[in-house]
Amino acid sequence: MTRAGDILWRGFAALVVLFMLAPLVLVVLFSFTDNALTNFPIERFSLRWYRVLTGNDEFWIALSNSLKIAGSVAVISTVIGTLAALALIRLRERLANAAIVALCFPVMLPALVIGIALLVFYNRVGVPLSVGTVILSHLVITQPFVILIVNARLANFDFAIVDSARDLGASPWRAFWTVTFPVIGSTVIGAALIAMSISLDDFIITFFTIGSGNTLPTFVWGKVRTYLDPSINAIGTILIALTVGSSALALWLSRYRG
Amino acid sequence: MDGGRRSLAFLAPSGMVFVGLFAAPFLFLFVVSFWSVRTFKLTPGFTLDNYAETFEKYGWPLAFTLMIGLSIALVTTVLALLFAYAARFKVGRFGQAMLFVCLLTLFGGYLVKIYAWKTILGTEGILNSALVGLGIIGEPLTVFIYNPGAVVVTLVHFLLPLAVLPIYASLRGVKDITLEAARDLGATPRQTFFGIVLPQCMPGLTAAFTFSFLIAAGDYVTPRYVGGPYTSMIGDFIEGQFSLRFDWPAGAAMAFTTMGCSLAIVAGVRALLTLMRPR
Repeated sequence: MTRAGDILWRGFAALVVLFMLAPLVLVVLFSFTDNALTNFPIERFSLRWYRVLTGNDEFWIALSNSLKIAGSVAVISTVIGTLAALALIRLRERLANAAIVALCFPVMLPALVIGIALLVFYNRVGVPLSVGTVILSHLVITQPFVILIVNARLANFDFAIVDSARDLGASPWRAFWTVTFPVIGSTVIGAALIAMSISLDDFIITFFTIGSGNTLPTFVWGKVRTYLDPSINAIGTILIALTVGSSALALWLSRYRG
Repeated sequence: MDGGRRSLAFLAPSGMVFVGLFAAPFLFLFVVSFWSVRTFKLTPGFTLDNYAETFEKYGWPLAFTLMIGLSIALVTTVLALLFAYAARFKVGRFGQAMLFVCLLTLFGGYLVKIYAWKTILGTEGILNSALVGLGIIGEPLTVFIYNPGAVVVTLVHFLLPLAVLPIYASLRGVKDITLEAARDLGATPRQTFFGIVLPQCMPGLTAAFTFSFLIAAGDYVTPRYVGGPYTSMIGDFIEGQFSLRFDWPAGAAMAFTTMGCSLAIVAGVRALLTLMRPR
């Protein structure tokens, strides 16, 4: 490949990276300005929109709902997903692969379909919509990711060391916590963080299954529909910090620690 | 407890979530698509009226949705292939950084990304104010937003990280030594790309295309934010049946029709690719 060709490829790569990052960077940038509209020129940097936000009770309720939901979803989907991955790895490969494809099926459907199916279902069964129904609903789309991530880690895990622990008299429970978990622990925590960001970020399923409350994304939705309010930039920045932050932490845990 | 029974017990919670919160609601929604609404009450029965109505009333939005979904999936897949190819072969260590950007933006900010594009492309938005400020245009332009193009840009941006990852995964399987062998035997870069690289990343390409198409065709938030009055996608109408009109059977029938058409198109594209593959 010629020198000119290399420069062309580098230029293209840089442009696409710019395309991917620019919208998110602009949201963060404008959240720290004094501008009444999200546009240039930037007159002054300030925390004006964060002050507007923190003075709004609805924001605090939405934030606390979001954290409650994402925390519960992370813990529950990580426990049940890790259990499933531990079972699947011991099954015959073809059977295990079929089970994984089936369990991951919900991720391939539009969130809209899952949202309306759950809305109709809860209504018919007579479960009132609440933060609890949102937690249950999110499990459908977060547990596939936990299963995939933990299963990939277990694929090159040597089960002989667990068998040794068992032969030496450790209970299955003790063998798990002293042998298996220290090895796969960072991957499991990484999976929990990914489940948390998916839950924090979800708007569509939450919208259909929460009833009357708000999470951060549904709070943003309500604001954008009425008028363009620059305090949305501040909520957006908080959401980006939470989701991108936990993704980055998950990557760091799974790539550099085992 | 023996191994088999323990496996079953370990799988039980996940299985219950899958059956109780996904399979059962999904199948029930399918059943509801044959029901009707009488005096604002959901009435069990068996009628195909909802499906007939879907094609009569929403045939055009459905066709438009599938077409725009195909364009978005095509643009996303080609851009993702070039991006993954550059990251794998062309830019050295910067490739790792490119991949890192994909992974970071994969799970974050669905709604924030759409909102960001609305503020960028709007008449009083970032792009217009920047162009006016730089003296490139005199008056703000209205052509950037509230049209199908804005929907394409926004969804390509959202789907790109998702499409890059499977393509990059299959490009990792292309050995440098194979490429060197091809070059030593006198293959041109073009021959190497179409003869070696492209066939080997077919699984990644089809996965990227399938995901992008299914998600784009099922989206309703993007067209509502940036699509304007003439970009009505079917998801928008489906959502309306649930949040405004409370005609659940009609909404269910529309959802299953859309999924059926989308799956048929995906199957068609996959069959076409298999036929085109040189032996």
